[in-house]
Amino acid sequence: MGYPSVERRRVLAAAALGRESGVPGPDPGDGEPLRAVVGEVLDVSPHLITIETPAGAEERLVIAPWATAWHGAEVAPAGLPIGALVLMRALRDGRVIERIWADTTRITGTILSIQGRRDLTVELDCGPHRGHRTVVVPYRSSGRLQVRHPKFEPGYLFDAIGVRRDGASLALLPATSQPPYPARSVPPPSPVYKQARIAGTATWSDTFDEEERGAAYPMLERADTGCAQAGVSCAGLPYLSVGSLLQVRNVCSNRSANVPVVACGCVAGRFCDRCVECDTSPRGRIAELSPSSYVELGGELVKGCFNAQIGLG
Amino acid sequence: MRLVLDSQLPLLIAMLVLGTVAKVVTVGSGREPGALARLGPAVLVPERIQAPALLVCAAGELALAAGLLLTTHPLFRWGTVAFFALSTYVLLELRRRRPDAGCGCFGEVSSAPVGLRSIGRTVALTGMAAVSVWAPVPGWEAAVAPSWLLVVGVAVLAALSPEIEELIDRVRYRAPCEQRRGPAESVVLSRLRASGTWRAHQGELASAEPHDSWRELCWRFFAFRNHDDDDVVFAVYLTGRRPAVRMAVVSAEGSAPLPEYTAVSA
Repeated sequence: MGYPSVERRRVLAAAALGRESGVPGPDPGDGEPLRAVVGEVLDVSPHLITIETPAGAEERLVIAPWATAWHGAEVAPAGLPIGALVLMRALRDGRVIERIWADTTRITGTILSIQGRRDLTVELDCGPHRGHRTVVVPYRSSGRLQVRHPKFEPGYLFDAIGVRRDGASLALLPATSQPPYPARSVPPPSPVYKQARIAGTATWSDTFDEEERGAAYPMLERADTGCAQAGVSCAGLPYLSVGSLLQVRNVCSNRSANVPVVACGCVAGRFCDRCVECDTSPRGRIAELSPSSYVELGGELVKGCFNAQIGLG
Repeated sequence: MRLVLDSQLPLLIAMLVLGTVAKVVTVGSGREPGALARLGPAVLVPERIQAPALLVCAAGELALAAGLLLTTHPLFRWGTVAFFALSTYVLLELRRRRPDAGCGCFGEVSSAPVGLRSIGRTVALTGMAAVSVWAPVPGWEAAVAPSWLLVVGVAVLAALSPEIEELIDRVRYRAPCEQRRGPAESVVLSRLRASGTWRAHQGELASAEPHDSWRELCWRFFAFRNHDDDDVVFAVYLTGRRPAVRMAVVSAEGSAPLPEYTAVSA
């Protein structure tokens, strides 16, 4: 049946149930909105950065004096290479840049094979929608990654943050403490009833389109999505569909936004982990956000998650 | 005396068949994440032969049940004694080596860690099997003329079965509707077609098949087109045989919702 227009589903559902159809975007009551800006660096100086946006336009943006950048390690913004793909957190309607992430990638999946002695080459199964992916774990990062991935062997989950360099993905930082069970043995949700708001951890993934605002959500009906691995989560999530509007609240930064469900988050559903960005979240990934949505909610890409609550938008 | 000897045969057969069915069902749904954690003693064998091990066990149980039912051959009688005695040993071993694993005796219902009751139950079954060895008639004859001792046997086993509490718990603490897997789309569609709302609006639809269907929380939505090319959307509640049905017509132009809105319950 496909999705003729998943945007339309929201309008139709709201009409049938006689409720207000929510509007995607940040909650206006959150103070100054953050804006995520994506582009390729054309020129950079300590105070100005020129980028080419995915639409092909050239933009000159001011770099705030306190701004920092990440490109495999913390660097000065002026030290970013020309041609790097950057995602930036901007204030003042997207004109003033305060944080830059360059060539940042996130590698999430199930380990299929590990090869190599010093630099490790890891093949991952990133789920039915995202296919297989091969990443390199450089020798200097392997200790740090393996400490957080005690079961560094096929069949177990892997989640790391790194950079894209020369067409290859380098895993540099662990994005989570690896869950101790094999990827297919997700524990069932504990029976908690009458929970007012569903809480857990929200992560990001780079498998969305550039500038896309949206989320992958684990709890979808298998028949509706054609994904045989959907509908698994240890967080006790309600069933939604592609096209539903999810209200995501970042508990750490106190920002919330309405984010449409645009994809099946079957890989995220396999992680029964916690986020310790601020305090300790309940177990389970409740949404996997696109980088732009994640940044606009005040998330830090390098940390990999924030404590989140969700409701229906 | 004969009554005593053959009184427990029907119970043994029923237990063996139940065990077979539950194990096959567990393996059948077994590629599901998490299910293998409930395999019981199979966790003691390497991972790739866990499901086959469970199936071999189920086949053995079925063979014993069939033998007990139809014949008086001592092979099946002593086989049953050996099976339950071995189960007792395996459960003791499981309790020692994997205190977190369930006994798996009845598949995924037996996910609670092995306790003294589960072990007591296999001991009781071993005893019943031993008594039945000298029963003069095959199982089906004993089942046709049950004695009151069978009721005692059932009561003993029920008292020793943690699964019964688990089943009651599952019935009492059902997950809320929006967290449960819903009925198949075709089932909900046929419930919609049985509703009064459908009959009232059926004539407006350009096609009897929905062009889109999706589930959100406890509702399933079906979107149709009417003759004016507007969207007609039905929302069907997912629980109950005659569920609530609501519908609305949304014009195709623009995304401004609710140009016309009716709500009807079936």
